[in-house]
Amino acid sequence: MANVHKDFHGALSFGLLFLEEHYGPDGCAEFLRELADTVYKPLADKLRHEGLSALREHWETVFSLEGGGASCSYEGDALVLTVNQCPAIHHMKQHGYAVAPHFCEHTRIVNEAVCRAAGYSASVEFDQAAGRCVQRFWRAAS
Amino acid sequence: MISCTEFIWVYNELFKYLERRGGEGKVIEFWKGISDQFLGNLREYVREEGLKGMYRYWSHTLGEEGGRHVMTLYDDMFVIDMHECPSAKLIYQGGVVEPYEKYCEHCRWLYPPLLDELGFDADMDIIDCKKGRCRLTVRKKPE
Repeated sequence: MANVHKDFHGALSFGLLFLEEHYGPDGCAEFLRELADTVYKPLADKLRHEGLSALREHWETVFSLEGGGASCSYEGDALVLTVNQCPAIHHMKQHGYAVAPHFCEHTRIVNEAVCRAAGYSASVEFDQAAGRCVQRFWRAAS
Repeated sequence: MISCTEFIWVYNELFKYLERRGGEGKVIEFWKGISDQFLGNLREYVREEGLKGMYRYWSHTLGEEGGRHVMTLYDDMFVIDMHECPSAKLIYQGGVVEPYEKYCEHCRWLYPPLLDELGFDADMDIIDCKKGRCRLTVRKKPE
């Protein structure tokens, strides 16, 4: 079982702030997009070969380890991840870590990059202050 | 959401990105930033309880991160003997990312300067990155 050290959410937030401060939003987005070719390449490959069930499995694993409140469902051909209590936002607020003003944007950028690499699309509507979001994933039109 | 269970790989990629954009100096600037601005909880533990606070801090973080290590708290010294660093193991043995070659250096920039500021001499000896072996030795500075 993976080790869960939630202070790393605060370290990520600090990293995003540093990137924005030194390289602007474009530099921050470039860094995050590149993760689809490195850290998230195995996930993108799995999504390409196995479809949305791979992503559902990924999110169920993540939220079973991290806690919070989230559920997966399907709306037609789209996978919908509804997060009612984001473990990252919740932990950072609870422990007084600075939450980067655009912290939740990283979810949109990484999701879009991973999906693009696999022939899928993604969207996210979030309320960062409340620690809630709804993420959608579907096969891109060919 | 980038899961905290994936963070170490993201951290490794961040070091590489910063070096590509701004050279090694930018990576070190980032590490110094973490030490100065992010490790407030370690600072608090050490201000309140000195060496014992270090023991408490790393008991918590290393307890959550895993790995194999021995922590020794003496009256005048605190030592972490890391036999298998959980973070280095993910980087060097995980096969997920190409390791940033100076990955383990971040500990040298994060902890000794902070502890020095609070009245302690700290030596961070990196023994073998690929095997995740290092030793942090902290002594109270003479009054």
